Amino acid sequence: MKFTYLKALGTSAVISLMAASSAWSAECIAPANPGGGWDFTCRQIGKILYDIGQVDAPVQVTNMAGAGGGLAFSTVVAERNEDPELIVAASSATTTRLAQKAFGDATADQVRFVGAIGADPGVIVVAADSPYQSLSDLVEAVKADPASVAFAGGSAAGGFDHMKPLQVLKAGGFDDITAVKYIGVDGGADAITQTVGGFTQAMTGDMSEIVGFIKSGEVRALAVLTEERVPGFEDIPTAKEQGYDVVAVNWRGLYVPGGISDGDFQKWADRLQAVADSAEWKQAMADNGLAPFTKVGGDFQSWIDGVIAQTEELSREIGVIQ
Amino acid sequence: MIRTDRVFGVVVILAALAYIASAYNLPQGSMFDKLGPKAFPIIVGAGALISAAFLVLRPDDEPDWPPVPTLLALAFATLVLVAYAYALKPMGFIVPTAIAAGVLSYQITPKPLSAVLVGIGLSVGLFVIFKYALGLSLFAFPRALMG
Amino acid sequence: MEIFSNLALGFSIALTPFTLMLAVIGCFLGTIIGALPGLGPSNGVAILIPITFSMGLDATAALVLLTSVYYGAMYGGRISSILLNIPGDEPAMMTTLDGYPMAKQGRAGDALVISGVASFVGAFLATIALAMVAPYLARIAYKFGPAEYFALYTLAFATLGGMASKNQAKAALASFIGLAIALVGLDNNSGFNRFTGGNLHLSDGIDFLVAIVGLFAVSEVFFFIETHGKDSAVGVKLGKVTIPWAEMWSTRWTMIRSSVVGFVAGVLPGAGASLGSFMTYMMEKGIAGDKGGFGTGVAKGVAAPEAGNNAAAGGALVPMLTLGVPGSGTTAVLLAVLMTLNITPGPTLFADRPEVVWGLIASLLIANVVLLLMNVPMVKVFVKILMVPPAVLLPAVTMISFVGIYSLSGSYFDLVLMIIFGVVGYAFRKMDIPTVPVILGILLGYQMENNLRHAMTLSGGEWTYLFSSPIAIGLWIAAVLGFVAPMFLRGLLKRPEIRDADELVD
Repeated sequence: MKFTYLKALGTSAVISLMAASSAWSAECIAPANPGGGWDFTCRQIGKILYDIGQVDAPVQVTNMAGAGGGLAFSTVVAERNEDPELIVAASSATTTRLAQKAFGDATADQVRFVGAIGADPGVIVVAADSPYQSLSDLVEAVKADPASVAFAGGSAAGGFDHMKPLQVLKAGGFDDITAVKYIGVDGGADAITQTVGGFTQAMTGDMSEIVGFIKSGEVRALAVLTEERVPGFEDIPTAKEQGYDVVAVNWRGLYVPGGISDGDFQKWADRLQAVADSAEWKQAMADNGLAPFTKVGGDFQSWIDGVIAQTEELSREIGVIQ
Repeated sequence: MIRTDRVFGVVVILAALAYIASAYNLPQGSMFDKLGPKAFPIIVGAGALISAAFLVLRPDDEPDWPPVPTLLALAFATLVLVAYAYALKPMGFIVPTAIAAGVLSYQITPKPLSAVLVGIGLSVGLFVIFKYALGLSLFAFPRALMG
Repeated sequence: MEIFSNLALGFSIALTPFTLMLAVIGCFLGTIIGALPGLGPSNGVAILIPITFSMGLDATAALVLLTSVYYGAMYGGRISSILLNIPGDEPAMMTTLDGYPMAKQGRAGDALVISGVASFVGAFLATIALAMVAPYLARIAYKFGPAEYFALYTLAFATLGGMASKNQAKAALASFIGLAIALVGLDNNSGFNRFTGGNLHLSDGIDFLVAIVGLFAVSEVFFFIETHGKDSAVGVKLGKVTIPWAEMWSTRWTMIRSSVVGFVAGVLPGAGASLGSFMTYMMEKGIAGDKGGFGTGVAKGVAAPEAGNNAAAGGALVPMLTLGVPGSGTTAVLLAVLMTLNITPGPTLFADRPEVVWGLIASLLIANVVLLLMNVPMVKVFVKILMVPPAVLLPAVTMISFVGIYSLSGSYFDLVLMIIFGVVGYAFRKMDIPTVPVILGILLGYQMENNLRHAMTLSGGEWTYLFSSPIAIGLWIAAVLGFVAPMFLRGLLKRPEIRDADELVD
């Protein structure tokens, strides 16, 4: 524990130093190493905020990897709870982990979720030569014999990719969800390989992970888990229109410290809205396979509360949490 | 005669037993994870145990360990490195690096003057390369002094 | 022809000034690292990884830099073999057999030129072969499910372990220690912390970069303190370098044969460049017969192992890129690079990240040309650098390691861990416990366990599932053979003694 303490001390020393040198620059914490989705969120949003004149100085991006985002979360709660110039990159993984108590004692209400401005839609795909032609074929097959269908996804068991088919199955009236086979492999591409190779019968993941394979014709998407069909992929039906009311998207957004004023919260919500409306962000989304998904301010917070409650319930049912 | 391999084998066996015990006490995973979090660590622990048993039963020839003074020098070098690790943040890059590099240099070739030069040269040279050519964020001196 | 459009894509990336510059820097550093006794490709790449990441290079750029270092070190290893009779790294050990006698006859320049050209031929042909073979091999990977991967990882341990030490039990023990270290930290499948003792730093697991730098770089310092750098290169002399055209032409078939054999040796998991140079030397010696004069300083004796080990270096990239299974110590280190960059090697790499794969292949081709220029006309530069005394070199290596790891994580904990790995690396090498399987274990342990667990999930807990496909059975048989065979072969094929015979680091 001594080391953690020292590290925390060191971090705060760096931060206070930076705060002294440039008092007005906002900071975005990416709770992961450079290169991942959270890092992308911070760098893109930070850059666009400055480019479109929403902030006066370039946004400082800090990478704080550790415990799957838990280190950044606990640092924000413990040390920077009232910092109005701090934003933290977040995604579905953040809320899934919070719902499953993966950040120790931390709970979602210790911070405020300020908005999401893009999302990677959830999908369920099968190999091109699969006998399952529609989502209901797949659901009925699981209902008939849960052992006959195994799902592969890019997140660990209990993670977001695991939740997607479970939500669909529940919506289809199948409740014995602990009997569903799921393997969490190293990323969506691996999950597709396993499915194309016939080791698993279906893959669950994000739209961006399957685009290349849909184009090459190796897989067939049975459903996309959004409200409406995704622009550019109009031939993929939604789960909703097939009778399974499930929306699961891997949103990209931000949270801010819990102790800031409502005014500051609204300020960030407005800034995010401005980013979402900018041409630069639309280009960045297109380049990175994200679909439009804008929810900011109070709307977003209440949507998040609902998502967390639902994830918690499902996790309890499959035994990921007690 | 006590052989290194035997001693090491016994140490590994004890460590492997502790490892297996620790794995055994893990809670069972969730339903769909048939194997759970214990099985593979137990397999690995058992593998280490068996390999270590071979070492105890059939040790190789004794390695040519250096004489005691050299071992002491190595221990000293290790201490210097640990001290260096802890000094790097509070004391900045230049001074600890010069001392650590100088000591190591002296230990490899015991020429005091050249060791001092190597220490200072490496410390300043590497700092310039890291900081200005590669753009790493290093502090030359303690932050307190730099304001 | 798909390969040409792919290569065109690759060259469009590799020929940007920045990438080109990285390739040149990598080649230069690599040749130095290879030439310096005590530093080989794996420690060279290991030291540079953390620095590369701290510089924030993107995936392609980082890979180009580090593989240029890798290829460069394979070239550079021959320089000290020829001039000092000390292999710059292990794969270059066979080059001493004829290279040093040539140097003693005053023909060091000829030996350096011929071996440099042989290195070029070997590496160039192997890179072309990599470009042609890898995409096809990548397709095979669709046949690999959890059971097959588990068997494949076992095979990697068995063959690498089998080759790595004189004592099979020690190689196995090293693998298990690596695996045990890999399992420390948060278990993603269950959400439990394992073996952390409540230490938060350990819940993210032990970073393999810390282990690699500790085992490969820091441990080296201890060796030099012990020996006071007796292997240093002070006093090397090299006269005028001219190109012996006729003699070089006479080795053309040797170079081509050796390239083919070396490449195949490199592709086989666990064999790597050392075996490549050994096999090619023995093969050419056999073909030439007693009249060939092998061992007395003949051109073919330097051409064969250099073409062989450089071709093997290219071949070793094939299993690493297509299956994610490294064939040697250095490719294990390169796999660590890929994993840190969030790139999953395997069949999907070729489909998903063509710019990474083909950019890499194109840069390797370019790097080869650069290396040929550096290693033939400019070889004298490196001969000068060879004279850097160890009292300067090793402290520099240590400080670079420290700054690299420190700038990655900013934590004392990782630095202390790195020192511990350094001490362990020293002790293990003294005791003839190979360190490469430890690294392999740390790298692959998590994947290995996951695949086993997935196999059990898919089969509903049925263990026979592990042996249920022809590929899996074939891999299991190969694994057993790979582990057992060296026990018998060792008597037949007595490998020549070299300074670091206890380690297969290439």
